[in-house]
Amino acid sequence: MTTTYDARRGTLRGTAGPTSSTSQNLMIFVLSMSLFGLSNILLEVIPDVSLGPVEISVSYFVFIPLTLAALLSPFWVALGAPLGEIVFTDLLMGDFSGLAEVEGFIQMFLAVFIAGSLIRNPRSRVQLVLGALLVVGIDKLLSAAVDLAKVWVGVEEAELVAGLPESILLLEGIGFVVDLLMSGVLFGVVPALWLVPQLHGRLEPLLGLQPREPGRPVPGSAPRATWFVVVAVLAGAGSFFFAFLEEVDMSPGALDAELDASFLWISAGAAAVLLTIAAVLFAVHRRRAAATSTLRDEDAA
Amino acid sequence: MALTRTTHDVLSVEWIKLELIRTAYATRGGLVARMDPRVVLGWYALLALAPWFTHNLTTLGALFVLAAVFVVLARVGPLVLGLFVIGLISEMVYLAVAALFFDGDLDTVLALTEVTLKLGVVSLASLAAFVSLDPEKLSDALLALRMPATAAFAVSYGYRMMPILVEEFSTVLESARLREPAPSRGGVLGWRHLVHWATLVVRAFYPIFLNTAKSVRTTVEALEARGFTAATIDPRARAIRLASLRVTGLDLAVVAATLAAVVGCHLIGAQWPLHRG
Amino acid sequence: MSAPIIAAEALSFRYPGAPTDTLRNVDLRIERGDFVAVVGGNGSGKTTLCKTFNGLVPHYWSGEFAGRVTVDGQDTFTSSVAELSQTVGYVYQDFQNQLVRPTVRDEVSFGPVNFGRPDHAERTAEALEMVGIEHLAEKFVWQLSGGQSHLVALASVLALRPEVIVVDEPVAELDPAAAEEVYRRLTALNRDHGLTVITIEHHAEFIAAHARSVLLMSDGSPVWHLPTDQALARADELSRHGIPAPQIVDAAARLGLPQVPQSVADAAAMLSEHRRAPYPDPATTTATTATAPRDRPATGERSVVVAEGIRHAHRGVRGELRPVLDDLDLQLHAGDRVALIGGNGAGKTTLMKLLAGIAVPRAGEILLEGISTRSRSARRLADQACYLDQRPERMFLKDSVRADVALFPRGRGVDDAEQLVDRILRRVRLEQLSDRDGRTLSGGQQRRATLGIGLAMRPSLLLLDEPTASLDVASRDDVITMLDELSDDIACSVVATHDMHLVAEWATRVIALEHGRVLADMAPAELFASPEIMRRARLVPPQVVELGLALGMEPPPLSVAELLDACADRTEPTADRTEEAPAWR
Repeated sequence: MTTTYDARRGTLRGTAGPTSSTSQNLMIFVLSMSLFGLSNILLEVIPDVSLGPVEISVSYFVFIPLTLAALLSPFWVALGAPLGEIVFTDLLMGDFSGLAEVEGFIQMFLAVFIAGSLIRNPRSRVQLVLGALLVVGIDKLLSAAVDLAKVWVGVEEAELVAGLPESILLLEGIGFVVDLLMSGVLFGVVPALWLVPQLHGRLEPLLGLQPREPGRPVPGSAPRATWFVVVAVLAGAGSFFFAFLEEVDMSPGALDAELDASFLWISAGAAAVLLTIAAVLFAVHRRRAAATSTLRDEDAA
Repeated sequence: MALTRTTHDVLSVEWIKLELIRTAYATRGGLVARMDPRVVLGWYALLALAPWFTHNLTTLGALFVLAAVFVVLARVGPLVLGLFVIGLISEMVYLAVAALFFDGDLDTVLALTEVTLKLGVVSLASLAAFVSLDPEKLSDALLALRMPATAAFAVSYGYRMMPILVEEFSTVLESARLREPAPSRGGVLGWRHLVHWATLVVRAFYPIFLNTAKSVRTTVEALEARGFTAATIDPRARAIRLASLRVTGLDLAVVAATLAAVVGCHLIGAQWPLHRG
Repeated sequence: MSAPIIAAEALSFRYPGAPTDTLRNVDLRIERGDFVAVVGGNGSGKTTLCKTFNGLVPHYWSGEFAGRVTVDGQDTFTSSVAELSQTVGYVYQDFQNQLVRPTVRDEVSFGPVNFGRPDHAERTAEALEMVGIEHLAEKFVWQLSGGQSHLVALASVLALRPEVIVVDEPVAELDPAAAEEVYRRLTALNRDHGLTVITIEHHAEFIAAHARSVLLMSDGSPVWHLPTDQALARADELSRHGIPAPQIVDAAARLGLPQVPQSVADAAAMLSEHRRAPYPDPATTTATTATAPRDRPATGERSVVVAEGIRHAHRGVRGELRPVLDDLDLQLHAGDRVALIGGNGAGKTTLMKLLAGIAVPRAGEILLEGISTRSRSARRLADQACYLDQRPERMFLKDSVRADVALFPRGRGVDDAEQLVDRILRRVRLEQLSDRDGRTLSGGQQRRATLGIGLAMRPSLLLLDEPTASLDVASRDDVITMLDELSDDIACSVVATHDMHLVAEWATRVIALEHGRVLADMAPAELFASPEIMRRARLVPPQVVELGLALGMEPPPLSVAELLDACADRTEPTADRTEEAPAWR
């Protein structure tokens, strides 16, 4: 009792530093992985309703990674969420599909990371709505591009086959709209608008973090260089998509058979490039995190 | 009200634990379970890439049969296999219907067969490779291929945490179900009940976020204290973990046989070529 | 004297954003080979202090850190958590979250492998052997009981061959027999391997039996650090800090005995010697007022629950059914206060969920207030019965205690819902805290909040799962008192528990389960007089009961007050004896 009002005798050696250290990033990553994984187990149990070729189903609970990305570091949330899906449902429930998982991982990572980085103020409803739609939009756009690529590469002179491009585009289009409505709005925008304000200021202290304030840059956000890469990848995917659209109306015979074989290499190359980019992102971030923590140690000393 | 309640065995904690144990023991002694996981990944890549080099339907058909043989050797359960076949067929039918709608003809259907065959080979290969592969072994393989240690860790962590998380969620959801008001009437197609349930599930995530955050904190502290971060820097840790992986004669034999079989498929295709159009 | 293994000099620490220091000017020496019990009330900084020993503070918890902590000569501020962890092992209170690998062997070898130790296999084998769990090595972690998990957590830190082991409240999440087992292992490690052991502990019984020294913390600084016997002699001070003296010590003091008894046998000998022991005379003891009103109600009472031929089972790996409850019959009457006891896996929780109608049995019929649980949904049965989970945070669905309490009555359109909620919050003494999220409350407050949630549902059957687990003694007594008061509102309460103090002080009827069957259905006093049933249910009776049995009392006293009453019958009135002899040291 008597010591409570004494002066602190020891020399002060460190103060509350920047709020993002390696272990805190790990915590965000594990949290995102666990929660998104859990939500995927739930969806695994709920039966899907199919109307003909179009599935009226919820692909994922977008509000979970979105809420986390709005409140915590989008980069680590974006890394954790798709891994949670792969580990918890696909792998442990015996539903692992090899390379397709890599596709899914990259799509979801980009979607959550970009949408999360756009949310500057977790209290802004407009930003949350945009964020939720962006996650689904980006993810589904990329996955449509991959699907189209598979048909384009897989079928000889695909654009020559009557009705094929149109029908695939139609199915992808309907699927896109349904997903945007079901996953993006019903299980994205609506829950996020309720959940984010509820958790803001409550969740962060449990992880030993300062709540995010509007305008203040998020610790752990990507450096500018990664933004450049992200934009480039998206632009690439987008241009592929639109190139295919144009291809549908193009006059036949523009492509010769030799070029066809090279499509395989293009797609394999694209996958490799995406993987490398992911690895680079990871490495860059790690170096940055290391730099920050060294800085902190220097401050402290 | 003629309601009679019985016991359901789905989405209970017990069910999740059983699913996990089944995955862990799913190694029903199949071929793949005895192989080195790194070789399995390579073998999978070989089989999954093979169909994309050809447009010859005969070759594709042969590859499909080959992949199916491996599925049998890996002792994939009938349920998983049945679901796969149904999915494959319905996919094709829908595409064909849509294509015919846009003035397509038999040629279109053949084109679709081609792409379906290719995707089918890839799916069969992943069934054979991964359904009977122990997640821990896959985790080791990822580590061996220099994937980030975090990814390899995620696998075993998920293994450990899934039952706990599901238990937490089902308890919270149960509590919410009993205490939250429910609609008295269902409405058309019971939409009110649907909305009610969806709301319950979403709302349950508020406590789940906070409770999980709390337990994750302990986990990460414990990880740190037991050298998790140190291991990502220390090459010795990786060496120890990978020491148990060993490429055996069986692995080489399987890869060699697969290579020969793939070449064989191409030879058959060259002998009796069948192309669209 | 050799250099201490842990030394703190002028250590202060403040969490980011906190208004005051959690640790303030701590000076401390812990010698090699000591067994230290760290005690102190909630918020006295015990856990934070222990986290400075392996560097989690300040490396993991950023904040203002002043002063110096050295562990085996290393300054913790300039070394990393990974380095320090090889000297100091830490077992958490919520140790389940500490286990990160699927199998026990993987879990134990995780540390040595991460640090790249070539001898990791030997270390793993050695650690498994040290805590005696070699037979569990190939098991999956989720197949273990709570006690086994705790030993695995212990083995996993031992595998790094630390010199110090810190164990945060081992008793909190374990049944009494498992807690005793953990302490036995810790004592063996301390004695045979020379390990320094530091535990955070509330229970004087464990401190007396195992610790070599006691460190009392208050408001973030040590009050004193003394050898155990001297520390326990300062009973008044300890009880002010939430550590009441062991029952035998308390009883000896209140009977004015000069010495401090070390064990039940000790106390019995002392009592006989000083002629304080009551004669084993059933006629007088059964007539004492303390036990009379707690006898079972007459069979003519209204039945709240009638269960017949209950069979229930969970699915096994190959889809087979593994029985949990096996042909169980049960009747619960209005006015019953039932304690449901039995080891882990005896089917207590399953039975309670069936009684509450949350699940239905695979065979048999349960009538809850005359309604078959099969005929009505769990949601509608919630009007009759309420089940409170063992972990309070699972009951907190909303962002404030008030909203959680109000959830049920508002949803069901109860007329005076708001007044009801106010009344209940007053009743559980949480009016001041009603706007806080339940998760931010202390352990005892959380339990009271869940009781409030249960009360607001106004059930006739209230089922509680381990309501006193992981509470310090003061909060536990608080909860027991509150349960006592609630019996006017609720026709019948059932409590699943390992806590024999709760059984002794609250229950009127004890039902012991074993292998899904009723092993015994009796009054608490009868239970304590049946060592065989106690053993099979993995229970340890309260010391006062053991003392009573040692003195040949039949039935044994269930509380210190009853023992004193029995003694008073024998000797002169003891009305002012407590004033006479306040100090027993």
